[in-house]
Amino acid sequence: MQSTGKLYQWIINIIMLVFTFFCVMPFWLLFSSSLTEDMELVRSGYAFFPNKISFSAYSYLWNSSSEIFRAYSITVISTVLGTALGLTLTAMVAYPLSRLEMPFRNSLAFYVFFTMLFNGGLVPTYLLYTNYFDLKNTILALIIPGLLMNGFYIILMRTFFASSIPPAIIESAYIDGAKEWKIFYRIILPLSTPVLATVGLFYTIMYWNDWFNGLIYLTDSHYYSLQNLLNRILLDVQFLQNSTQSGGRGAEIAAKIPLASMRMAMAAIGVIPLLIAYPFFQKYFVKGLTIGAVKG
Amino acid sequence: MQANSETSTLNSKQVSLKMKKKAAFALEMRKVKKYRALVLMALPGLLYLLINNYLPMLGIVIAFKDINFAKGIMGSDWIGFKNFEYLFKTTDAYIITRNTLLYNVTFIVLNTVIAIALAIMLNEIRKRYLSRIYQTLILLPFLISMVIVGYLVLGFLDVENGFMNKTLLPLMGLDSISWYSETKYWPWILTLVSVWKGVGNLCIIYLASIIGIDNEYYEAATIDGANRWQQIIKITLPLVSPVITIMTLLAIGRIFYSDFGLFFQVPLNTGALMPVTNTIDTYVYRALINLGDIGMSSAAGLYQALVGFVLVILSNAVVRKYNKDNALF
Amino acid sequence: MIKNKKVAKAFLILALAFTMLITACGNGGKNSTNSGKAGAAADGGSGNGSAALKPVELVMVFPVGGEPKDMKLVSDEINKLTKEKINATVKLVPIGFGAWSQQKTLMMSGNEQIDLIVSGLGTYSQDVAKGQLLELDNYLAEQGQGITEALDSLDPAFLNATRINSKIYGVPSIRDLAADYGITMRKDLVDKYNIDTTAIKSLDDLDAVFKIIKDNEPGIIPTVKYLTSIIDIYVNSFFDNLGEGLGVLPGYDNNLQVVNMYETPEYAEMLNTVRRWNLAGYIAKDAATSTETQYNLVKSGKAFSFISHMKPGIESQESRSTSKEMVSIHFRPAATATYNITSIMWSIARNSKDPERAMMLLNLMYTDKQFINLLDYGIEDTHYVKVSDNVIDYPKGVDATNSGYNLQMGWMFGNQFLSHIWNGDDTELWNQLAEFNRNAIKSKALGFTFNADAVKTEIAAVTNVQNQYKVALETGTVDPVSKLPEFNKQLKAAGIDKIIAEKQKQLDAWAAASKK
Repeated sequence: MQSTGKLYQWIINIIMLVFTFFCVMPFWLLFSSSLTEDMELVRSGYAFFPNKISFSAYSYLWNSSSEIFRAYSITVISTVLGTALGLTLTAMVAYPLSRLEMPFRNSLAFYVFFTMLFNGGLVPTYLLYTNYFDLKNTILALIIPGLLMNGFYIILMRTFFASSIPPAIIESAYIDGAKEWKIFYRIILPLSTPVLATVGLFYTIMYWNDWFNGLIYLTDSHYYSLQNLLNRILLDVQFLQNSTQSGGRGAEIAAKIPLASMRMAMAAIGVIPLLIAYPFFQKYFVKGLTIGAVKG
Repeated sequence: MQANSETSTLNSKQVSLKMKKKAAFALEMRKVKKYRALVLMALPGLLYLLINNYLPMLGIVIAFKDINFAKGIMGSDWIGFKNFEYLFKTTDAYIITRNTLLYNVTFIVLNTVIAIALAIMLNEIRKRYLSRIYQTLILLPFLISMVIVGYLVLGFLDVENGFMNKTLLPLMGLDSISWYSETKYWPWILTLVSVWKGVGNLCIIYLASIIGIDNEYYEAATIDGANRWQQIIKITLPLVSPVITIMTLLAIGRIFYSDFGLFFQVPLNTGALMPVTNTIDTYVYRALINLGDIGMSSAAGLYQALVGFVLVILSNAVVRKYNKDNALF
Repeated sequence: MIKNKKVAKAFLILALAFTMLITACGNGGKNSTNSGKAGAAADGGSGNGSAALKPVELVMVFPVGGEPKDMKLVSDEINKLTKEKINATVKLVPIGFGAWSQQKTLMMSGNEQIDLIVSGLGTYSQDVAKGQLLELDNYLAEQGQGITEALDSLDPAFLNATRINSKIYGVPSIRDLAADYGITMRKDLVDKYNIDTTAIKSLDDLDAVFKIIKDNEPGIIPTVKYLTSIIDIYVNSFFDNLGEGLGVLPGYDNNLQVVNMYETPEYAEMLNTVRRWNLAGYIAKDAATSTETQYNLVKSGKAFSFISHMKPGIESQESRSTSKEMVSIHFRPAATATYNITSIMWSIARNSKDPERAMMLLNLMYTDKQFINLLDYGIEDTHYVKVSDNVIDYPKGVDATNSGYNLQMGWMFGNQFLSHIWNGDDTELWNQLAEFNRNAIKSKALGFTFNADAVKTEIAAVTNVQNQYKVALETGTVDPVSKLPEFNKQLKAAGIDKIIAEKQKQLDAWAAASKK
């Protein structure tokens, strides 16, 4: 990088500071409201600095901790497994597609791309996975349907492989007699840390935040992930807004809906682990990016 | 005579085209053998897509059927396009289509421009640790789900207790605004939320490809006396343009879809805001919540996918015309 | 274009494969129901006493507001009982209310075993039209006499109200099968200001009450919405909503002439009242968008009252939900319509592996005290203790927040009148409820269920229009003078008249068939 003027650096840093401030500020509000006394939030509303700090929402959650800890572990397991498996499969499709020698390269690229535009809809997908793969009420239901591979990430990786890895490297490896698998494993992957880190992070976020698979493939709350627990409450709130469906039975359900501060606290505990884990992830991720820059 | 010869050349052209195709196909088949390692490598993933995406696609027949489970999906009666009618036979058809399209176009343009600008700036920052901190923080909004975003927005805009009405507006000496009943603010609010949430993700993608650019280009440009600005315009942007094109094309493919969380949860499903918040997805959701008709929901999905598909094919063709390498396929 | 041809070819193959999959699955479903029916015919009168029955597992699906911790314990206990009585084990599948419609639709579209399922919840006629539920008449006659007896002892009209094309597809739980209407207020404030509750006869009598609260208790909202709006439920005291409220019968009669509720003077009058309250500050400014429930608002001391539907024993129920002593004023008489009865029912799903045994299990739910109490309250001495013979309470150290089984949904599991009485409720509560059901005004259209199939397109469009205006109008957020006509104009454009005409046509046919 060429050295540039101090003023130039200052301007850029100020712009970035302002922008990042706006990115972070709402999170502060989330945590401060989750720390606001139950009734206080209904009474005096949202503030960045609550009058009275209270951990009552958290202590309530702590009381139902066995459920929450199990949900945490389900979330972690499905996120780790899903990300690892998804990233591997994605790279294994993206790399051949990036090679000009790949047979039916264009047709296959279209085959991948097409999956991003059309889908069969919920019911056929559900029937397929439950009737023929027996995924209902298993932890695999949180990992496999829909999430495992994403056409978008395949295309993202393919573009990276095609544009950032000089074909000469592959050719010379070929000449040295290396096999395709070995080239992929020994040369391509180490050169591709930026994109692997990026896509890996995206998979992680996707798995961490997913509640949809749990909603449709799980009736046994034993396998509920954290997001499923959070989502259940929100769905109940939504259900109450539809009196035709609730058949006037809303009252009995309404009695079980937690207060807003509780919902905030639950949202917060859903986010906190990701926020804690993320900087570590980010470290490797940025390292990946810089390595890419040096070698690129 | 002339006509005849014309058809015959046409025929021969067709024949030769066919032959060429055949030859090309044979060539590809030979490649399968030679590069079977590559094919094998891709196979598990391709198989997954077959199962996860292609097999259920045949379920689109549901969109054309009056589903009766006693008869089974295949045994149910065909009803043509009746399941699609509710998408068009409403006075809202224009509004929901307009909202969906306008918002998406705005989001695509704004998110792309801002994300690229941020990515370039991040790349320019000399202090690595600062750049790292910024990257970490701008991706934060991407980590949380739209539902939680909805709560955050409420925290700011709540009529009586929100941060805006309780703290900020009084501080500026302004009157309270009842945010959830005034349509005029919502195009701005929704755009802001969309940028806030989406730009970090896009920025990282662009940053990864900017960092991937070979330093030699910049070194050569510096020797030629190009300044930073010229380098950005002449080197960075053109080299990132394939990624930009792909991202934009993909976004176009989803132009008839809308983020349900953004348009439903964030405005708290408020009726008064519907003229500016109702999109195809929220319309379908509200329409079918009591009917629970899978035929009608499949119809909506098919309609959205088809429009997106056509638009992508068209825009891809346009891209192809100008720069073949940038096209998606 | 090799590419396209290849794609087309691939599609063809896929299409074939999938067709085979789907038809296989469809047939499977059909076969199972057929064999079920054949079995019913063959078994006929036999099948009494558990010894003669081969063991089966029955799957029972029902909605809950949060799955209890000790579900497993209770289910083990239930299995001991059902094993002994009908040689069957029961798999309980509770599903959260919010996820209910999604999961129910999916489960019913596949081949998953569902024997007993809660039906109704606004989708009864669609579910029947889609062929998801079995006809119950024969099973009721063979294995479900206890159910018929229990329901008919109340009034035969209730079971008959579930008939669609003269067939029964679901049996209502025995609970409050009618509703009266009124207001529930905080007792401490009513006492403090000596509010004369006997003077409250209509909505318009409430202005004076709300004024007292507004003037003397700053920070307390006089009235908050119940479910979606201030009068969302209350309007049902004037109209039989005939299912979903698009086309109603004023006064539960109107000589079976269906009208558009939004054009009636009664509705306009109510909107004016609510608007007046809103302008006077009796309703929260954010009423239209708030997602905080009425219970949390009262509990946190932010609200004084809410207007709702009622039943005997409502006072103690609402007091429990709000953790404050409440007083309920019933000022609109009890009435019942098809909707009150078909909103919560039990049905046997098309996917049932053994409909006769499912019916036997259901029969237990209407006749067996032990089974009902297990479902309603859990295990004695763990989840409740007996205070006296029929009255129960939480054990020491247990309350609503930490109980392992606290569904509070006795109204769903079969015959509530056979369950224990919760401490604090009137010991005569079930008799009162039975009387309440018997004496309720019966709608002239009781027993009519609207089939929306022919007007689905219009319902979709009209529902969206309703979403746009209804809540704002019914919370007084907008002026009904200008917005109600606009609302009606939009409803017409969306096709409400077609829905009403279709409903009228079906209602006339129903009346002719049932000689009303």
